[in-house]
Amino acid sequence: MIKVSNLSKQYVERAAIDNISFEVESGEIVGFLGPNGAGKTTTLRMLTGYIPPTSGNASIGGHDVFSESIKARQKIGYMPENVPLYDDMRVREYLRFRAELKGLRGQEARQGVSEAIDLCGLKQIRRQMISSLSKGYRQRVGLADALVNNPELLILDEPTNGLDPNQIRRFRELIKQLGIRHTILISTHILSEVEMTCNRVIILNEGKIIANDKPKDLSRELRSANTISIEVKIPTETAQNLINAIPGIKKVTKEHQVEEWSHLTIRTEPGNDVRESIVHLANAQGWPLREIRTQYATLEDAFVEITQANTSNS
Amino acid sequence: MRLLKMHLLKLLKQIRPTHKYANMHAPKIIITIILLVIIIISIQKFLSGGTGLVILKKELKSIFYSPIAWVVMALVMLLNGFSFTAALEILRKADVDETLIGYTFSSTSFWLTYFFIFPVITMRLFSEEKKLGTIETLLTAPVQTIHLLLAKYIAALIFYFIIWLPSAMNFFLFRISSAENINAIGSFFGAYVIISLVGIFNISIGCLASALTKNQLVAAMACFTFCMLHFLVGFILQDLPVPESWQSSLFYFSTVKHVEISISGLIDSRQFIYYLSFTILILSFTYNVLEYRKWKS
Repeated sequence: MIKVSNLSKQYVERAAIDNISFEVESGEIVGFLGPNGAGKTTTLRMLTGYIPPTSGNASIGGHDVFSESIKARQKIGYMPENVPLYDDMRVREYLRFRAELKGLRGQEARQGVSEAIDLCGLKQIRRQMISSLSKGYRQRVGLADALVNNPELLILDEPTNGLDPNQIRRFRELIKQLGIRHTILISTHILSEVEMTCNRVIILNEGKIIANDKPKDLSRELRSANTISIEVKIPTETAQNLINAIPGIKKVTKEHQVEEWSHLTIRTEPGNDVRESIVHLANAQGWPLREIRTQYATLEDAFVEITQANTSNS
Repeated sequence: MRLLKMHLLKLLKQIRPTHKYANMHAPKIIITIILLVIIIISIQKFLSGGTGLVILKKELKSIFYSPIAWVVMALVMLLNGFSFTAALEILRKADVDETLIGYTFSSTSFWLTYFFIFPVITMRLFSEEKKLGTIETLLTAPVQTIHLLLAKYIAALIFYFIIWLPSAMNFFLFRISSAENINAIGSFFGAYVIISLVGIFNISIGCLASALTKNQLVAAMACFTFCMLHFLVGFILQDLPVPESWQSSLFYFSTVKHVEISISGLIDSRQFIYYLSFTILILSFTYNVLEYRKWKS
């Protein structure tokens, strides 16, 4: 669906996008992740044909976004950052205008608008002025606009920006639902969103792609050093000394102590499961052990680790 | 080709100069034809695909569904009333050979207020879209920039024409209410033709100013300044101590002169060529300003 090869965008004093290439297949939901200023919006703007690349190519459904801009744009439903809307129009009127702008006429347009209104839950406010809408509703109107001509590809730039947790959850549901029929490219810096909705994540930092993988694989890759946390009922020092003696353990750190229970975090060498040895040790010593748990790295850890490692390298 | 040339020459021979300014030349006809072709092509382009009409409809709605349009119309009508009354007063007091229309459209109060209309009409055209960010949603939809430009321009032009419609009522009412027959139909049409032409040109300046900035105030001021500068250049050139042979070339730039000629009842092709070709030039600048972000760095 999307094919980007060696795309670069050079601004006067710096490269906003530095030679990136990626592909998105039909039917995928891809998260476009990166810290602020990484070049996410620039990339999306180039994909929608709003600004030209300095070099490289991008095509949507086989149409080059620059030489066949109109054809490429017909396949895209784009929701820009901060959702610009006309304040002096009513919701349905606006969607009708957008539908006609995207080439729908008469009955087709009416149907497209009413479907988008149903899908985005805008039924109660369809007659309201856009200026009177809350942030959440504005966001939904923006999404309805992107959906109105039922495009093959949805490009959403930070769609959950500024929503409250409930709204974010609802939005996520909606994205999942849309993913059945559309290819979706969604840019965000909220990690839980990507983890829950996307099949694949592309991490961008300082204009370069530094990771392009499934969210699960990405976090697994990072679990090079296993982390185990335990809670035992003995003085911390004793426990630290004895556990350190087990082979394959890198470091034992004390988290905190509540009454007589010590909470310890144990980092082991890669591929070394020491949970069994710890249980044996506890049995042999007669320690009351009430919790033993492996900590999985989240996408958040992955994100922090990858982006920071890359920043310090460059 | 030869047939066309022969036909043109035949046409030329038929036309006799009827006025001191009216002497047609072959280049003028060719320029007129080129202009007409450009205008027809752009209208045809605008109508094709229909997105231009969709934007035009939306623009007209946002103009006439808001109080701005009606306030502007009412105030312009009020000011026109003043020019009209002033002209009546002059005619009542002195025995002069000018017509009522001539005095209305050359009075100081008319020119003082005239150039304030353009910034009001054009300042929000593109700057508002830029400020709201909706220019991004517009230009990432399958819309050609030329459609957007022409739709906005034509919407402003329609607004301009509608603003001027009520002023014609003054003359009709005068004619109905007084036994006096002003009997100057040529002068009446001449006046409205030149008002239209000057409007067509000045609105294109407003479009350009609005496309250059996202601040409406800056757009308004820039529009006013350049409209006024163009007007003043013509005004000042008139009084320059230049050789007589230059005068006739300099008069091309003088709006005041154009209005004078038109109000005398003569509809001259030179004014059409002058204003329409400048309009096309300035709209093409505007197009490039809108496309500027697409220039590869």
